[in-house]
Amino acid sequence: MIVVSLLLIVLAILGAPLFAIIATSAMAGFHSNDTELMTIALELMSIAQMPILTAIPLFTFAGYILSESKAPQRLVRLTNAMFGWMPGGLALVCLAACAFFTAFTGASGVTIIALGAILYPALKQDGYGDRFNLGLVTSSGSLGLLFAPSLPLILYGVVAEVSIDDLFRAGILPGMVMLVMLSGYSIWVNRENRRPVGAFSWREVGGALREAIWELPLPIVVLGGIYSGFFAVSEAAAITALYVFIAEVLINREIAFRDLPRITRDSMVLVGGILMILGVSLASTYYMIDTEVPQKLLAFVADLVSSPTSFLVLLLVFLLILGAILDIFSAIVLVVPLILPIAAGFGVNEVHLGIVFLAAMQLGYLTPPVGLNLFIASYRFEKPIMHVYSATFPFLVILLLSVILIAFWPDLSLLLV
Amino acid sequence: MRKILDSLERAGKLAENVALLVLLGTMIGVSVFQILNRQLLGGAFSLAWADELVKMIVLWLAMVGSIAACRDNKHIRIDLVTHILSGAIVSWIKVVVDLFAAGVCAVIAWQAWRLIGEERTWGDVILGDVPLWLAHAIVPLAFALVSYRFLVRVFGLLHDIFGPQETAA
Repeated sequence: MIVVSLLLIVLAILGAPLFAIIATSAMAGFHSNDTELMTIALELMSIAQMPILTAIPLFTFAGYILSESKAPQRLVRLTNAMFGWMPGGLALVCLAACAFFTAFTGASGVTIIALGAILYPALKQDGYGDRFNLGLVTSSGSLGLLFAPSLPLILYGVVAEVSIDDLFRAGILPGMVMLVMLSGYSIWVNRENRRPVGAFSWREVGGALREAIWELPLPIVVLGGIYSGFFAVSEAAAITALYVFIAEVLINREIAFRDLPRITRDSMVLVGGILMILGVSLASTYYMIDTEVPQKLLAFVADLVSSPTSFLVLLLVFLLILGAILDIFSAIVLVVPLILPIAAGFGVNEVHLGIVFLAAMQLGYLTPPVGLNLFIASYRFEKPIMHVYSATFPFLVILLLSVILIAFWPDLSLLLV
Repeated sequence: MRKILDSLERAGKLAENVALLVLLGTMIGVSVFQILNRQLLGGAFSLAWADELVKMIVLWLAMVGSIAACRDNKHIRIDLVTHILSGAIVSWIKVVVDLFAAGVCAVIAWQAWRLIGEERTWGDVILGDVPLWLAHAIVPLAFALVSYRFLVRVFGLLHDIFGPQETAA
């Protein structure tokens, strides 16, 4: 068994598809356990027994449609009209617009491509330093993970069997803390360059609002519907998908019908990748629960640490390392079932745990060696990866501080739940 | 032979796109109609089948999306080696990991095939009269195709590794 595990780890690091790695470890477990090997197929098919999963393809599709339309430009114009007059205005615009966009498009790296391409040159034109711009745009790309209706929040709810409505409420304040801390840093760094983008103008706000008229109902209907409890999450997802289709394809006509197969394919490729990993993880979790792995882990950790505080320290260190190696979706489906019982053993609330988990994994987008946003930014803005990394580093430190704050201040997450 | 394979690839990609569009379109349509039915029509239609259908579509989307992900080389991996190594060794590593993936998928396809064989004897149905095994048949089919796709990739890699030397000789 140890030989198999080592072999799988090597294969994973060499770049074997993660679902194949997880499936093999599940099947090896079943084999050693005299469990029928068909169980892997049974667990995969149970994807069809989780009603909440419908939200994942629907929101992903909506996010891809939005990012292919001119909605990003309109979002930037609107945030600029509202916040651009402040000192460090454009940096704040970047943070706010990216957070909003990421929440709606599910943290798959599309934010950097859709918004970064507009904001990066705009920041430069406005006299911000190149290093700052690169770091800001790269780290903004994963901001907003904690806001509804982001995919990682939904996936955590599915895996941990926690109310997704609760998670959506819990993410608000911690997400705001991240935004405020990064904004504060941006203003401080640019204290010499206080030039606001322009004066505040009702005219410009009005113009930007008029231009975005078809997108405006979206956050109101979706967020309002979810937070008021009028819609279930999967219902809000269906409404969003249909609405975005009508607004961008039929009314704004920014996406041609002939592009729909490609956009549908691109979005469903991501969905297939995520759900495949979820499916095989259900099988490996089944095996691990069956052999009481979480209990053994809890006993092991309980030997190591004694207080909830020291547990959280250990958890944070673990999550930061995990985030550097694994993408957020794989990490959720693989690791959450294991740490949930341990966290419960130390009296950590499962909703709070979810927010800490996602906040820590958000850093993973920015940490070498496999931080997705580093590579996307390096590719998109044609900068060497080491340059992107060092430019992002100060932002990474700020985000790390915010994660520590979120971890050790549970009320921040639980106040609104 | 080459021609037949190429048109097979094109047909496969088209079939994936059509399937994804139809599945997603149905999912959006049925879900929205459910909401309208409940909120505006006061539940005038009995849509007991709708939940079942939408949940089954998630499985089908996952499976077809997975085949497409394989063709587009978008399955989630730890993408480290290609960033730190270069040259022929990378191609050989890709051959090894994709061959491994092809093997794993073949085993899963076989297990899923066995499972739907069992399900046929149980005689469960969904959506009124559709046999459950038929709805689940997408799983062995998809894994067989994913396995095939990984093999195609392996052959492509081997062709790239050995191809240039052949033309040189």
